[in-house]
Amino acid sequence: MRAAIAQYYPGTSVIHRLDPRAKFVAVSALGVALFVRTSFLALGLYAAAALVAYLLSGVPAVWFWRAFRPLLWLVGLTFVFQVLFAPGEAFFSLGPIHLSWQGIQTAAYLTLRLVVLVLAGSVLTLTTPPIALTDGLAWLGRPLRRLKVPTDELALMVTIALRFIPTLLVELETIMRAQRARGADFSSGGLLTRARALVPVLVPLFVLSFRRADDLAMAMEARCYRPGVVRTRLHPLRARAADALLLALTAGVIVAGTLL
Amino acid sequence: MSLACEAVAFSYEEAREKLTALRDVTFSVPAGGSLALLGASGAGKSTLLQVVKGLDEVESGAVLLDGLAPGHSGYALARRQTGLVFQSAELQLFAASAREDVAFGPRRLGWDEARVAEAVDEALDLVGLPPALFAERHPYALSGGERRRLALAGVLAMKPRLLLLDEPFVSLDPRTRQDLVMVLERLRASGVTVVLATHDIDLAWALCDEHLVLERGEVAAAGAWDFGPSGGLLAGGRLREPFLVQLWRRLGRDAASAPRTVAAAAEALA
Amino acid sequence: MSDVRADTPNAVGPVLSVAGLQFRYPGAVDDALAGLDLRVAAGEFVALVGANGSGKSTLARILGGLERPGGAAHAAACGHDLLTEAGRLAARRDVGVLFQDPENQLVAQCVEEDVAFGLENLAWPTARIRERVDGMLARFWLTELRRREPHLLSGGQKQRTALAGVLAVPRRVLVLDEPTAMLDPAGRREVLEAVDGLRHEGLAVVYVTQEMDEAAGADRVVALERGVVTYDGPVRGLFGDHERLRRLGLGLPPAGELALALGERGRELPGPPLTLDELVLGLEQVG
Repeated sequence: MRAAIAQYYPGTSVIHRLDPRAKFVAVSALGVALFVRTSFLALGLYAAAALVAYLLSGVPAVWFWRAFRPLLWLVGLTFVFQVLFAPGEAFFSLGPIHLSWQGIQTAAYLTLRLVVLVLAGSVLTLTTPPIALTDGLAWLGRPLRRLKVPTDELALMVTIALRFIPTLLVELETIMRAQRARGADFSSGGLLTRARALVPVLVPLFVLSFRRADDLAMAMEARCYRPGVVRTRLHPLRARAADALLLALTAGVIVAGTLL
Repeated sequence: MSLACEAVAFSYEEAREKLTALRDVTFSVPAGGSLALLGASGAGKSTLLQVVKGLDEVESGAVLLDGLAPGHSGYALARRQTGLVFQSAELQLFAASAREDVAFGPRRLGWDEARVAEAVDEALDLVGLPPALFAERHPYALSGGERRRLALAGVLAMKPRLLLLDEPFVSLDPRTRQDLVMVLERLRASGVTVVLATHDIDLAWALCDEHLVLERGEVAAAGAWDFGPSGGLLAGGRLREPFLVQLWRRLGRDAASAPRTVAAAAEALA
Repeated sequence: MSDVRADTPNAVGPVLSVAGLQFRYPGAVDDALAGLDLRVAAGEFVALVGANGSGKSTLARILGGLERPGGAAHAAACGHDLLTEAGRLAARRDVGVLFQDPENQLVAQCVEEDVAFGLENLAWPTARIRERVDGMLARFWLTELRRREPHLLSGGQKQRTALAGVLAVPRRVLVLDEPTAMLDPAGRREVLEAVDGLRHEGLAVVYVTQEMDEAAGADRVVALERGVVTYDGPVRGLFGDHERLRRLGLGLPPAGELALALGERGRELPGPPLTLDELVLGLEQVG
């Protein structure tokens, strides 16, 4: 069973081989610029940049669609709302609804921004293994250590959590099946009935998780883990010239957008 | 309750691929009989048990309970009288006390509290967890072997006429394993039909009249135990023969009449 | 490639030495370990047997420096004092522990990352980690699975991965706490084969089990009952003691069970037999 979070598509494209830190900074910067700029040409440029990155990654288009589809309703709703209710010179009015060219334009911008944001974000998550991403974020978050935030330990926690998600999903399904085998019903009844039926499902999941946490902690200590101690990596993050190039190009695109 | 599968097929989707878990599975077990379900991990034993119980619907073919087909009015009842014990006891238990956990199934059957209480006590006694000592204990405070017994009690309290067990002996300490064998023998003696999925060929030999070997979702061998004259292994060499059968062969005796249990063998050889 | 550290202070003398070891779980009525004595020499393969509740898992954790003893006249692992915090931390480096549940030992997203975990914790340089990990993967037949995610592994594969990860850190002692208890027969074979390959390398092994056939090949077997050692000697010696075997509630291979049952019916077999061949031989001799 595949978890949809942090979906990674293995590959060897130039995008795959970029340092996760550089990718994260580039995507974040582009995301901010997206929502700051209002020029259609700028948005078009940013969209083109994201699209080029996606194409270079070699990941089939259908994966982007899978990431975007759950948000379709949000985007659609926003679009309709903007079209119907946004302020502007109306060419058609009916009660609170007024259609205006400005409204349609705002709606189009918002939709484009959301699509490009998901596109850029997808490039990041599809080309970066979760462990590399968490390592990258831990490195970027290093300044927070001065505020006593345990960034390395948090990164390890995230990695472990991700590792166990598929396992937990299988266990959850087994728990539900075992209860169904004894007559439990998870599909009929109102919302409250169904919610109550889920309580006996959560109990073993929680108990197992606590036990698992104990066992894991001991197994980690048995392999000399100590929080707070600096750890080396089998696959350390190594920034290369290509990463500097990515950052430079991104900066260039963003600046170009401000001029359009 | 008798069980029969006719050309049962079942597949599911994983990572957007259709995987066939069961293909053309046909076999039958008479009422009061016992069947050992054998095969390597991933062969489809668990899937078959869950399909028989009705947790998954067959893609094609039919599961006949007591000779009744799915459309029949008595089928739903027959399904409720089929019990399935999963491999992991931890994933089956959830209540605050052993009594409450075992009572779950009977309550879902709609029995009144008096009947439920009686069924719970009987089931706890049957599996070797005397109610006086164990009824109020917390399931997760019990040892591994005790939890396995409790999970079994939860199903037995529903008074199944057909009992499906998925690898009940894995991870059990030797003592609990022996006790569990005795519990199953008692159940068989009381007329319950048993289908036992297991890796342990010696326990299968001790408890079951017939066997069914699954290989990648298909039936590789089925029916009464039969050992070729050449001393071949079961199912074309894919499984080893039970120890006692091998021993009888080595001693020059008729393999087919080898004793089922070590005690019986000791009696014969002493 | 050696899994054994030679550069430690006590290269001679017992690698594990406890006397009067005591431990009680908080809130428990009885001691889990009630004055236990045990010594293991370098390179020895010792089987530790006992029923549930005998204290064997507790002992395994204490020997690995993972649990603080309640008290002891003396408790040392590879020269480190297990009664002190610093000693326990140091012991974790020399004593590796493999646990029963394959699932709850793997922390990383793929096999090779998990095998590297211990070395990353010890801050080894990346190049040395890579070399050592490659060696461990090859040794435990995991090379093709190196990028596989844990939830896609079989029980036997998971346990081999965990073992590779424990031994990636060069050790002097390996403690295995019922490593095959949760595995199917195929997985069990894989792990036993892997452990067998560790013998005669200078690594001391303490193998905790409830199955006599897994203890059969040990240099010596130690039996625990209610927190104390009740037998410490050759495997065959323990096996010959029918009453003790029954009391210990250990699992015997069918040949052994049959021999025991025959003994109870007055037909003693020499040996005692653990395999079909040995049993048949025994029957032919006596019979």
